[in-house]
Amino acid sequence: MKLSLRIWILIAILVISLISIFGIPPAFLQKGVVITSVDTNSTAFEQGLAKGQIITSIDGQKISNLQDYTEIISSKFPSDAPVKTIFNTKDSEVILFTNSAPEITVSNIPKTNLKLGLDLSGGSRALIKAQDKELSLSEITDLVDITSNRLNEFGIADIKVVTVSDLSGNNYMLVEIAGATPKDLESILAQQGKFEAKIGEQIVFIGGSRDIASVCRGDATCAGIESCGEISEGYSCKFAFTIYLSEEAAQRHADITSNISINQTPQGNYLSEKLDLYVDDNLLNSLLVSEDLKGRVTTQIQVSGSGQGPTRNEAIESANEEMHNLQTILITGSLPYKLEIVKLDTISPVLGQEFVGTILLAGLIAFIAVSIIIFLRYRKIKSSVLLLATSLAEVVIILGVAAFIEWNLDLPSIAGILAAIGTGIDSLIIVLDESQQETSLSLKQRLKRAFAIILGAYFTALVALIPLLWAGAGLLKGFAITTIIGISIGVLITRPAFTDMVRIIGE
Amino acid sequence: MGVFYANNNDFIRKDISLTGGTSVTLNDKIDPQTIRQDLAGQLDGIDTRGIYDLLTGEQKAVIIETKTDSNQTKTVLENYLGYELTDANSSFEFTGSGLSASFYQQMIIAIFLAFVFMGMVVFIIFGENILVKTYVIILAVLSVKIAYSSVSMINGLVGVILLVLIGFMFFYAIKKKSKLILPIIFSLLMLFFFIFPSLYVAYTLEIILLILILLMGVYLKHSIPSFAVIISAFADIFMTLVVVNMLGISLSSAGIVAFLMLIGYSVDTDILLTTRMMKRTEGKLNTRIWGAFKTGTTMTLTSLLAIGAALIVVNSFSEVLSQIFTILVIGLVFDLINTWITNVSILKWYMEKNETIA
Repeated sequence: MKLSLRIWILIAILVISLISIFGIPPAFLQKGVVITSVDTNSTAFEQGLAKGQIITSIDGQKISNLQDYTEIISSKFPSDAPVKTIFNTKDSEVILFTNSAPEITVSNIPKTNLKLGLDLSGGSRALIKAQDKELSLSEITDLVDITSNRLNEFGIADIKVVTVSDLSGNNYMLVEIAGATPKDLESILAQQGKFEAKIGEQIVFIGGSRDIASVCRGDATCAGIESCGEISEGYSCKFAFTIYLSEEAAQRHADITSNISINQTPQGNYLSEKLDLYVDDNLLNSLLVSEDLKGRVTTQIQVSGSGQGPTRNEAIESANEEMHNLQTILITGSLPYKLEIVKLDTISPVLGQEFVGTILLAGLIAFIAVSIIIFLRYRKIKSSVLLLATSLAEVVIILGVAAFIEWNLDLPSIAGILAAIGTGIDSLIIVLDESQQETSLSLKQRLKRAFAIILGAYFTALVALIPLLWAGAGLLKGFAITTIIGISIGVLITRPAFTDMVRIIGE
Repeated sequence: MGVFYANNNDFIRKDISLTGGTSVTLNDKIDPQTIRQDLAGQLDGIDTRGIYDLLTGEQKAVIIETKTDSNQTKTVLENYLGYELTDANSSFEFTGSGLSASFYQQMIIAIFLAFVFMGMVVFIIFGENILVKTYVIILAVLSVKIAYSSVSMINGLVGVILLVLIGFMFFYAIKKKSKLILPIIFSLLMLFFFIFPSLYVAYTLEIILLILILLMGVYLKHSIPSFAVIISAFADIFMTLVVVNMLGISLSSAGIVAFLMLIGYSVDTDILLTTRMMKRTEGKLNTRIWGAFKTGTTMTLTSLLAIGAALIVVNSFSEVLSQIFTILVIGLVFDLINTWITNVSILKWYMEKNETIA
């Protein structure tokens, strides 16, 4: 039996798809754990452990999964004195001397290169637009830049910030965060972050790099909690950090303060007007300015505020969060308009795994159902098996393409794959039936006619899907993309190959 | 359907993804009935249901849907449950009412465009002559132009396509000495729209209706078979919608996608049937219909059984997928009726009429 070119193409693409899904060597054969994140302020980072590396052994003991890793690490740490730990990754060796566990997170090596969407793997997604304002494409691009910058400054990893437009020409910003949802995501995303420091009605400096040269952050000598005290409802903690003004802003400060009179108090001599700090037009704090700063070009300023909580620890935590937020705003500057979150989803990763299992089970049962009908209808083992195998090949190729273009498989995408397979099987049935028609035409001509019907159905379905690529801010794009990929693969690769298989059997 | 519209002031029941509101999934064994009764006063339009394991029947989670926004819902739930809600024990999905309204509108536009495009392709396959085919393409392109009126890049592209098509139509019509009146009037109207886009913004719906009527007219006059394909797809969707409403299902945006999927399944069998009846000559008409029927029902039955089986598995586990599958199952049953009774009758009548004329 001689295989035709089309069948060879199908086989080749099938192999490439399998490689694209499982990688070389296949990921499920690899032993070890993969590093998913490394704290950048840690010795582990300094010694060269990096995200994406695969740890194969620790202190000479083989690590094949997450359980092995946890066992070894929890038996060693925490320890009283620094201990030596040797990490072997695939192509390097890292030695750490620490008394606490390395600041890295690891997970089992994913079995495939397929990426699951947020609704299956957990994470958060927000769709944001400007309040009472139509944003132009360039404005929304600026917004995306500032927001990405802010989220990075805030220390959130694994983010995707993009602009999306819909059928009516509305522009939105779409923010997707994989994994755990940061607390206060809503305020990080939606706050305008307009920071103003005023004396009276005069603005001394604002947030952003024009006025603020640098902000002290993560350095205990110039940023941190200063004091805590009991208040009527729990505790209040004061935080303070130093910022460095640009020369221009420092000069402004000198000009404004030079005309202000001095109040003499028992605690010391201060300017009669305070430096008021506003965030989004809300007064955050009023700072006394000491006498010796009057009229001076000073670049170094201490910014302070407070956080409250029912217990001392919660007050400290709240003060730290406030400080972190304020630092971020000062670094990244303000947005020129107010924002509105029009959609905010935070999906728990807990049900995701079971979900994938359920979908696989549903797929399996659907496949069995289809097989039964096909066997009953045709009662020919060879062509029935070929039909089902071709259909399976189609699934593999769709997944291969999804892995290759790093498409996130969300629920709409899975529905799309189902739609593509459904119409795919329909087309294969047409090929098989047309080939068996009793006419004077040759088998080749009959198959050609079958293809005319398939092409008609293909183009009709294709054009029906195109509007969905944009409708609804692209949230259902996954459905349209996977269906289009699926039916196109069917028409270009699997169905031509199946036609040849039918011809070979027929002859 | 008319009664339903009168009662609800809309064609469908919408869930919170289309009306705006919050959907919360709590990974906890809470009785859906109890929590609904307990929180009815605090959460606006509350609805609840449980998620159960398929094999053990053990409860996995409870889903709470409300029109209240996500922050307030969270506060109410935390007070009720007595513990903090984090992404480890719950999922929140919030959709603003402004967004969901535009979402719904866009889904309708998407379905409308899908129909126009589908009609266009079917007409190109089964339609009569090139002039009329061009005319249908112009109408389709124009409807895109109106639906996408605010996207400037598409405007430019559509403008070029339209001008090329109009040019072709004029050239062809003059060469073949065809009747020019209707295309000329219409092309002028279109150019007018292009020069003054602000004129039609207020009348988008009216113009879209005008285009639909024009398209319908062209189809009826020039290609009954293409018309039958579209009618069959439309009937599938309409009848399914009636049943969905009768079952009291609230449609989500994913549910509307299911209707688009239905178009795909519906045209498959219709194109098969029309090709076998119209474009083939061998055998008797009834033999050809019988052959098409055998192939077509196999196609629909495999889909029906596969989706039905999948529905049983995912049922209650995923609202999105089970809604899509339910709609497809209902739609495919109607597709069997519409294709093999309605569509066959129309085509048979049409062919017999043509034979008597010939």
